[in-house]
Amino acid sequence: MKKRTHADLSVDFLGFKCENPFMLSSSPVAATYEMCSKFLEAGGGGVVFKTIGTYIPDECSPRFDHVRKEGQPFLGFKNMEQISDHPYEENLKFLRKLKADYPTKCLIVSIMGSNEEDWTRLAKDVTEAGADIIECNFSCPQMTQENMGSDVGANLELIEKFTKATLAGTDIPVMLKMTPNIEKMEVPATAAIKAGGHAIAAINTIKSITHIDLDQMTALPVVNGKSSISGYSGAAAKPIALRFIANMKQDEYLKDIPISGIGGIETWEDCAEFISLGCTNLQFTTSIMQYGYRIVEDMISGLSIWMEEKGYKSINDFCGKALQNIVPAEDLERDFKVYPQIDYDKCVGCGRCYVSCFDGAHQAITWDPENRKVEIDEDKCVGCQLCLHVCPVANCITPGKVVFKPQDQFGKGSEAVYAEDVPCKRDIIVGQYDE
Amino acid sequence: MSENAKKDYLCEAVPAFNIATAMEEASRCLLCLDAPCSQDCPAGTNPGDFIRAIRFRNFKGAAEIIRTNNVLGGICARVCPYEVLCEKGCSRSGIDKPIQIGRLQRFATDYEKASGFQPLEKVEATKEKVAMIGSGPASLTCGAELAQKGYDVTIFEEKAIPGGVLSYGVVPARLPQYIVDEEIETIKNLGVKIECNTKIGKDKTIDALKAEGFKAFFVGAGIQAAKMLDVPGVDLDGVTNAVEYLGAAKPSNGDIDPGNKVVVIGGGDVAMDCATTARLLGAEKTMILYRRTREEAPAHKIEMSYVEELGVHFHYGFTPVEIIGENGKVTAIKGKGFRDDSIIQLECDKVVFAIGQAADESVKEIADLKFTPKNTIIADETKDCKTDIPYIFAGGDIVNGGNTVVQAVAVGKTAAESIDKYLSEEAK
Repeated sequence: MKKRTHADLSVDFLGFKCENPFMLSSSPVAATYEMCSKFLEAGGGGVVFKTIGTYIPDECSPRFDHVRKEGQPFLGFKNMEQISDHPYEENLKFLRKLKADYPTKCLIVSIMGSNEEDWTRLAKDVTEAGADIIECNFSCPQMTQENMGSDVGANLELIEKFTKATLAGTDIPVMLKMTPNIEKMEVPATAAIKAGGHAIAAINTIKSITHIDLDQMTALPVVNGKSSISGYSGAAAKPIALRFIANMKQDEYLKDIPISGIGGIETWEDCAEFISLGCTNLQFTTSIMQYGYRIVEDMISGLSIWMEEKGYKSINDFCGKALQNIVPAEDLERDFKVYPQIDYDKCVGCGRCYVSCFDGAHQAITWDPENRKVEIDEDKCVGCQLCLHVCPVANCITPGKVVFKPQDQFGKGSEAVYAEDVPCKRDIIVGQYDE
Repeated sequence: MSENAKKDYLCEAVPAFNIATAMEEASRCLLCLDAPCSQDCPAGTNPGDFIRAIRFRNFKGAAEIIRTNNVLGGICARVCPYEVLCEKGCSRSGIDKPIQIGRLQRFATDYEKASGFQPLEKVEATKEKVAMIGSGPASLTCGAELAQKGYDVTIFEEKAIPGGVLSYGVVPARLPQYIVDEEIETIKNLGVKIECNTKIGKDKTIDALKAEGFKAFFVGAGIQAAKMLDVPGVDLDGVTNAVEYLGAAKPSNGDIDPGNKVVVIGGGDVAMDCATTARLLGAEKTMILYRRTREEAPAHKIEMSYVEELGVHFHYGFTPVEIIGENGKVTAIKGKGFRDDSIIQLECDKVVFAIGQAADESVKEIADLKFTPKNTIIADETKDCKTDIPYIFAGGDIVNGGNTVVQAVAVGKTAAESIDKYLSEEAK
């Protein structure tokens, strides 16, 4: 049977026309020709080839750990790998073959040097090998040498020096990959752009300790009785990535600088969220490590179907569209509250909302033990909607009546007019369909 | 009485997933390499891909994966015997139990309908006219596939509503009529025309259709002649068969006299549907009389368990020898041990024979084809569905003597490929 075609996902990134914005990030998933090729064949728009340096790192074993909650694995993922462990010449050979075999796919190459000469030489060599864009790795948090990785991303002087050194070796666009292990990413990003950089990639992994092995009294993974702080990624990193990106896209100096979004991307919805904050390129690794390259098929299908339905003809039609609605806390309207409403046909009488409301909120739910029935006490309810978040039944507790707070002593709060329906749970927005 | 028994005749027995429960089930899926589930569907459905799409919240993409392979995906999601097909090889069984693939397929196709998403592209009819004879799952699939290849397709159906066994057979608790209607509507929207109340060979002939410009024909007429046992009392008032019983109940939304004490003869899925119909329409006591054991019964065990839950009494090991009546009406049925000399006598006012169906003699009026002694058409439906007349193709129950809906879908696809090849190469 013949399927319909949906929205076009092609997008310009730093002058390169990418067939879609989906790229492998610089990591173990993009370490060889064969790996990159398999992803590109699955539909990816390009790759960011694993960071090439001037030496081969000595890696530890084991080197990964993951965080689970109840049954769900991989909520967060920790790794202790460094840069490419393939010989320099072999990496350049991979790049040449990738560009020759996939000329329409975007080949971004990540590099990392330890001094200015290194950066210039790396830039020159990967450019000659066929890179379309260079990504400077200023952010790997587990490098074993000084003045490399996230040490650079937190040091404005090194950022300026190494960005300039990279530009000295190439004429293709240069993107700087930033570390989230700081408070304000706008500061190093601005320094990198002022030094001549063309785009920002954010975020690299977050410094972390995922677990302590309570028998051996060390962190995981255990390397002969010891462990190290190292980078954390995956779904748990997404909210942190989105906030850094929003901050940069709302920054007066940086707002028009292209951003490649990275951090916990698994689904087409994740992709749409990064784009709505202004990203025109997307990278991912952890989800690939868990599920494989094939997941890009559902990113392509899901995003293009959704865009078609929304009437978006291109990525640019909704790129950055959410930024205007992300405002400082002091600018939020605070003169109304949205009461939750309970659908008693769906309620299974578990009492979880009661427990959470009493122990974690405002004791605004009553419990009738005889009938296992909960009720909202509107006098006490503040509209925080904690109950809605803990309810295990789809669309059982939903946002209901909107009421305006009584006028306060300054006479504020009663004039505003507000829409009736205030959706605030994702399933309500994404799928109106319910049994 | 179990909860299920209280359910209305028109209500689906298995509850639907919503987004939350579908995500939970999809998260159980191991997303196997070279997924075993994707190798066990006669119609080529790829659960490995559509479950992954659900897992990654691409619900419409999941529907697209299902529909581009099987236009009757919402129907198959409900009537397929998954436990012997896709779910059989599920790797998750090695941990606990298989993924509920049928229910996830139903979720994806329900989501598609609820959101108004249209996965298939209508193709303009620029090629030859092709006729489908009969409107069961094989013809519907073949017609839709051919319309998607640009043919001008008309389906001819002798009954008042299209769908064949889907509309006149499968009990609504398994397959509600609105699902059948929706999927047929989708097929019509792809450009397929349907003419009901038109029996080919009687109301219209193949020659007349050829004169109207039809260049190829697919015979998917199904088998409607109910088999009966030649026992005394078979002509009594109250003795009927599955074709009549189900065929009266479903199109009338259950507006029939189901009987009060009903004995269904047979051990197949159709017998289970008859017992379900009787029970859900209010028969006080429903019994199944089957000559062999539970293990030997051809019905799918899921269906048997459901019927048992409804409170139907199973009497295994007996074959009917006499139907007893008073004043011309049935009052009891007498059975004798199939493998011993036991005797059983069940009081009843309705006896429904569900011991299989055969091809109707009238199929011979369609065209001068080669038939088996059982009146089924000779054609190789595993290969090309060709009959001995080059422009006539055949498949489905009228060829195989009775098989599943998903098998009919597979045959419909084979026939469409074969007809396309014939019209684009051989006939030129």
